[in-house]
Amino acid sequence: MNYSNKWLKGLVFGLITLMLIISVVSCAPKPAAEEPAAEEPAAEEPMAEKTSVTILIPDNPAEFHGYGAGTGFEEVISELVMLSVAEVDDQGNYFPELATEIPTVENGGVVMDEETWEVTVTWNLRQDIYWEDGEQVTADDVIFTWDAVQAAEIWSSSGDATESVVKIDDFTFQVNYYYPNPEYIIHFGGEDFPIFAEHYCDADQGYYEWNCTREPLSSGPYTLAEWVTDDHLTFVRNPNYYDAPKPYIDEIILRIVPDESVKRAIMDEGDADVHYWPAENNALVYQEEGNGTKWAVSPTERWIMKIFPNTKARGDTPGEETIPHPILADKSVRHALRMAIDVDTIINDIFLGFGEPVWSEFFRPPFEDSCGIPRPEYDPEGAAALLKEAGWEDTDGDGVNECHGCLNAEEGDLMTMEFMIYAEYGETLELAHQFIAEAWANIGVQTELSIVEGAVLWAQVEDGGIELAGNFDINMWDNGYAGVDPTAYLWDYYYYASDSEWNLANWTGEEAEAVAALVDELYTVDEEYRMEVFCDIALILEEELPAIELFSTLEMFGLSDRIQGVRPTAFDILTWNVADWTVEE
Amino acid sequence: MGTYIVRRLLQAIPMLLIVSIVLFGLVNLAPGGPLSQFSRSRRMTAERAESLKRQFGLDKPVPVQYVVWLVGNDWMKVDTTGDGILDSHGTRKGILRGDFGFSYKTREPVLDEIGERLPNTLYLLGFMMLFTGLIAIPIGIISAVKQYSAFDITATTLSFMGQAIPDFWFGLILILVFYATLNNPFTGEALLPSGGMYTLGAEFSIWDRIKHLILPVTMGLVGWVAWYSRYLRSSMLEVINADYIRTARAKGQNERKVLYKHAFKNALIPVVTLFALDFPYMFTGYIYAELIFSWPGMGRLYYDAATSRNYPVLLGVLIIGAGIVIISNLLADIAYAYLDPRVRYE
Repeated sequence: MNYSNKWLKGLVFGLITLMLIISVVSCAPKPAAEEPAAEEPAAEEPMAEKTSVTILIPDNPAEFHGYGAGTGFEEVISELVMLSVAEVDDQGNYFPELATEIPTVENGGVVMDEETWEVTVTWNLRQDIYWEDGEQVTADDVIFTWDAVQAAEIWSSSGDATESVVKIDDFTFQVNYYYPNPEYIIHFGGEDFPIFAEHYCDADQGYYEWNCTREPLSSGPYTLAEWVTDDHLTFVRNPNYYDAPKPYIDEIILRIVPDESVKRAIMDEGDADVHYWPAENNALVYQEEGNGTKWAVSPTERWIMKIFPNTKARGDTPGEETIPHPILADKSVRHALRMAIDVDTIINDIFLGFGEPVWSEFFRPPFEDSCGIPRPEYDPEGAAALLKEAGWEDTDGDGVNECHGCLNAEEGDLMTMEFMIYAEYGETLELAHQFIAEAWANIGVQTELSIVEGAVLWAQVEDGGIELAGNFDINMWDNGYAGVDPTAYLWDYYYYASDSEWNLANWTGEEAEAVAALVDELYTVDEEYRMEVFCDIALILEEELPAIELFSTLEMFGLSDRIQGVRPTAFDILTWNVADWTVEE
Repeated sequence: MGTYIVRRLLQAIPMLLIVSIVLFGLVNLAPGGPLSQFSRSRRMTAERAESLKRQFGLDKPVPVQYVVWLVGNDWMKVDTTGDGILDSHGTRKGILRGDFGFSYKTREPVLDEIGERLPNTLYLLGFMMLFTGLIAIPIGIISAVKQYSAFDITATTLSFMGQAIPDFWFGLILILVFYATLNNPFTGEALLPSGGMYTLGAEFSIWDRIKHLILPVTMGLVGWVAWYSRYLRSSMLEVINADYIRTARAKGQNERKVLYKHAFKNALIPVVTLFALDFPYMFTGYIYAELIFSWPGMGRLYYDAATSRNYPVLLGVLIIGAGIVIISNLLADIAYAYLDPRVRYE
């Protein structure tokens, strides 16, 4: 066989040439998204130098609504370009956005039929709001978006309550509810519900497939100028924004930086203005003064770290005939487990002080003082005594309690369980995991620690999902709710019904049914009564402990010194008031 | 040779088919599922889950899913409404006809997702490999020729360090030094950027692109140069003591010619094997560099798809990677024949 050097050299030369061509193609500047065609003249151009703010986020958002991928950043970009009918501020107060005012019973916007309990809510829209292409935002857009969400089978408690959404005229629509909907004000708002343009989106594509959810038409303060996947998104001022001279900042860049340490370095160098959800060690630095950065924290918290004890035997799915968990079905055990956890040490030593103790679901406004429920004491001796009282005692001195007259286990059974967390949260949760396991070990509760991917923990039953299959003993993870009203959130975790797919702790029994009945009572327009019902629920949950709330993690952000007006909120997403942000050089 | 190449390419077809079955099976057997990203929230009901599974084709048995992934479903009727009635033809064409499906996360075609990132990865890894060759080959040769010299000992020490340093740690140190600590004395800005492919909002400039390449390429180079130079050194040492090299020298051939024409060419054979193993990285990405230097490449796409169980994207990256492995092995075999005249492919 005779191979010529020329042939090989040609091949090598060709490969290098190909590589260089690819490099040049990669290097070539990407064309910017087509500039929006504005029919209306823009507000007077500011003469000042262009202002720009860079926000560091770890993950590429998938689209401009949060119903699909759930990276947590879809809502962040949605607030930049899309308006909703009504929103919530950082103090938990509702305010109209596309609407002229919030409909209430007092102003005649909410009418209830006393006999049937059917409720009609009438919304009037502002007539001075335009899409970036110059078309007016109308009731058709709201109804179009609602229909699309409904067609996509996206669940919401508002959806369950809604009989119809009817257009009255171009700027008025009416929502007919089967019963009072506690979330009616943010039915078409909050962080979840941006309004899309009917004339721009292709209804046939379906909500999830809409191109307009990746290249949206703006009604908000900014328009999308460029999106380089996994790299950055650039937003520029929407010349048609109704609230001129806002927004005050000309350009918002979301830079996707996966690594936490790199984000800190970028902030330290002054090359970015917002570090989204910094790790505790970085937040500590932002908290210090005089280093060019600062921090911002929501006036109230949103995310609660919770322990979910499975009250039914492993693998016993909700809604089926159930077998009690041999250890955790006894509420005394659940109380003892809580008493043995030193929450303050977890907050101060592991989460570096960035947390607040929480012992009730009703810990943030509009609720006051956790409905009067006193904070439980950290009392490991009391916990051991309670376990002994419940029939769990270590009599053979091996450090693990055995059942001696306990409620649901066999005599002599060991008090051992699996204790699970999810991997993605990171090191602080792992440390808390170990710390709690040690605390429990000190009172004779042996736990096998496991860490699983979120994709396994929360998967569907048929995909081997652990939680929905009830295939766990104790899990620990964080959750919270947007908006002000927790009714739908209560459904998620505590609503017991024989056909319910919720109620992750598999909590059943008379008390669970009592809570379910009380949750049903929440569907009324009498706010005073609702607050009473919430606190009645709180008392039962405190007594029964179907979930153990530990502490809230702070809704916090690292900021550059020059950025002003950033007001983090537990009720919405950070960018809710982006039009008000300013920079001071 | 032509016949050999054709035969190897034909053999690659059943090989890829088997690989595709194994990959598809492994991906689907892994615990967890693509709907997990919705399950933690109240937004996902059982009805919605059923609807999404139907839409994604996950409601079918895994073997059927495999067939659809391979050859599509536009030739058969499917149930699009969930009422159990096969109401219309499917829309999938299958990977054999270039349809890799769509991403569960973005609903964009998988090939578009890959197409967005692949050039970025080729760009980064291409330069990484190019500089690996430019640096490792001279080091390997000089180390072998001047065995136990100060240069050889230094290169050997540095090579061991290069192999031992965790690359993600080294990447962070590079950022700490060249971005967070050292400044350009003329502009006062950081000496090198922390990441990304170019400066956002700046005019296109070759120097700007080069600056963004330096740190991620350096991070990869440290390990690769260490490996390649060590391989080449030991390979050269074997060759330069061989009889035919002694013969060449005895014939009075110029030392340079002996080293570069006779020794180097033969010493390259094990290096080619190593290169064939590393070549697929050009397409599948270098995940640590992409994560640390915020580089929008294939590694991050793969990582994200794996953690979110985005099956179509995951399988797309894996099957393309498998194809590249097969091709790079074929190229390595061809290179053996060139480098070693004793190798014959009939």
